[in-house]
Amino acid sequence: MRLYGAEKLPGMTISIAWKNVWRNRNRSLTVIIAVALGIISGVMLIAIMEGWIEQRLHDAIYNEASHIQIHNSDYLKNEEIQLTVDKAPEIISEAGKINEISGWVIRSKVVAMANTSWANTGVFIYGIDPEKEKDVTEIYKRIVRGGGKYLEKNAPGTILISDKTAELLKLKQYCLRDEVLSKLKEVNIPEKVTIALKDIYGIRFRSPKDFSNALKEKLTRRQLDDYGKTIMDSSLDYRIRNKIQVTLSDLNGNPVQGTFRVCGIYKTTNTGFDQQTVYINSDDLLELYGGTSQLIHEFAFLLSDVKKCEEVKEKLELISGKNKVSTWKELAPDAAMMNDFMIMYYVIFVGIIMLALAFGIINTMMMAILERTKELGMLMAIGMNRKRIFNMIMLETVFLTLVGAIAGIFAGWLLVAVLGRNGIYFSSWGEGFEAIGFAARVYPVISPSYFALIIVMVIITAIISSVWPARKALNLAPVEAIRTE
Amino acid sequence: MKVIDIKEVHKVYDEEEIAVKAVDGVTLSFDEAEFVAIVGPSGSGKTTLLNLIGGLDMPTEGEIVIAGTNLSTLKPSGLIDFRLNNIGFVFQAYNLVPVLTAKENVEFIMSLQKWSKHDRELRSDELLKAVGLLERKNSRPGKLSGGQQQRVAVARALASRPKFVLADEPTANLDSKSAATLLEIMEKLNHGEKITFIFSTHDPRVVKMAHRVITLEDGKVVSDDVRE
Repeated sequence: MRLYGAEKLPGMTISIAWKNVWRNRNRSLTVIIAVALGIISGVMLIAIMEGWIEQRLHDAIYNEASHIQIHNSDYLKNEEIQLTVDKAPEIISEAGKINEISGWVIRSKVVAMANTSWANTGVFIYGIDPEKEKDVTEIYKRIVRGGGKYLEKNAPGTILISDKTAELLKLKQYCLRDEVLSKLKEVNIPEKVTIALKDIYGIRFRSPKDFSNALKEKLTRRQLDDYGKTIMDSSLDYRIRNKIQVTLSDLNGNPVQGTFRVCGIYKTTNTGFDQQTVYINSDDLLELYGGTSQLIHEFAFLLSDVKKCEEVKEKLELISGKNKVSTWKELAPDAAMMNDFMIMYYVIFVGIIMLALAFGIINTMMMAILERTKELGMLMAIGMNRKRIFNMIMLETVFLTLVGAIAGIFAGWLLVAVLGRNGIYFSSWGEGFEAIGFAARVYPVISPSYFALIIVMVIITAIISSVWPARKALNLAPVEAIRTE
Repeated sequence: MKVIDIKEVHKVYDEEEIAVKAVDGVTLSFDEAEFVAIVGPSGSGKTTLLNLIGGLDMPTEGEIVIAGTNLSTLKPSGLIDFRLNNIGFVFQAYNLVPVLTAKENVEFIMSLQKWSKHDRELRSDELLKAVGLLERKNSRPGKLSGGQQQRVAVARALASRPKFVLADEPTANLDSKSAATLLEIMEKLNHGEKITFIFSTHDPRVVKMAHRVITLEDGKVVSDDVRE
């Protein structure tokens, strides 16, 4: 295939190409609308995915992994209580000298079994300094409504658990009590809905599933869709101050038990992390496993600039001996992979949209060429060479597609801006998303560089789409084309 | 000065394996500023001869030399450039670009020749004035009558200062008044611009105004009358 080289286009060729776009207004508008819709869907997909990735990266760093962590290199393979960080005092003393570190904490982390009277589950108990922890994680900001309060240093014997752990330990119950019914009235839930629920007034449901099934039995599908979430949220009651017994192995491998009162319930967007993570004061944990000083299983560092991770990692490795220094990319590889590779998926997705649109564009341009056979013959006869004919048709295709792309980008940007305020709540799939670390409510966001990417892909699509119609035009013999009626 | 020299030109079309001689051994020459009508019955080869002179079609045999250039030596791309710089065309169906105004249609060829904007404007105004359409220069073809469109086509054909203009039945779609106006304009431009005009026509009004009338029959020149 021979493509025609770049030549400075006379302004009039550009002008004709632009005017030709509007010759058959309805046909062009159809293509423009199709391109715009395709771009809107591409922009929305990128914005939703970016919203998720941004949230996942933020949560992976600020709730789970921090920027850098240090562990005993064997601890990551086998989380035993004895496998503490080597040379911890030296690290503590030297880490403070690294300017890029904005905050850091030490943690004890032991495997334990948590029990209530009704259920049990395996957890990691983090022994922390609650106040220092605020320098590194945002768990203190994730206390759910009606879920008590964050862990306090001066409140020994308390435990901070997650919403998921509360559910597993049956510390989360649903009950339609009088105050719940008054609350429902306040938020305008129709009386016929509350009347339909009268058979389950006062009954305690210890799992969301049981309560949800009960609602399904009593309400219509429409009522469930409209009011189900509000009723569930209003009826939720965490059993704060309830006792949890934890069992773990002490330094000698003997089982030891301790009882803690739930002080608060937190919830991040990663159910997997939540269900295995509980926090208690480090002194309480020390008392349980015995010994004279806190066992340090984990150092977590937050940096002033995420881009400095590798640089700081190298500095920490110099003072860490045999310990394993890991960046957030190693600790949360799912988030790191998404961060690094998503652009490839976006190109593929937008590419598929463009491919589908290309057929419409080619069809439209072929019709335009067919209708203008006589005119193209005349242009060739009077001296418009093939290069210029090719360029005119290519420009026409680019203009047609770009108008749709610009409209689509503007509409997509507007949609992202509007939806970005309150987010999009994926109620039906929320639980599934949270199980893999994504929020059920996503706040779409898109950076201008993606608009540039879309524009480039649109122009490439238009140029490729123009080749076939343009070649069709170039194959016309002027003398025959002029005779066409 | 000789502008066009046609030597023993033949054009044979193969239609359903039957050879049709559209032009059969034509030898002619045209001088500068001639006003020539090519006449003959339908199928006599008038349009084919014009297409051959215009480089839109190539002869099966013989040669056509225009201003010293043998058309058969030019490559297709060279032929297009040659047409751009040497030949003006007027078509029966006007064939203006519908999205451009009268002025833009006239300027279009000059823009292909890379004239400056200023020169293009001067020339298009001059030509549109000559064809009596300066006041309609911003109208698109759809807003002009057939006669007016053909006058714009004549202005366009002359815009690039060609060596000659080929007009294939230019008055065929025009009423008598429009045709008369067009012919007067063309004759005036023929004198003023010293450009050769060659028409194929059935129209006796064109024949009457022509300075030279060439009659074709079955692809052959049967008469070539020069009038004083």
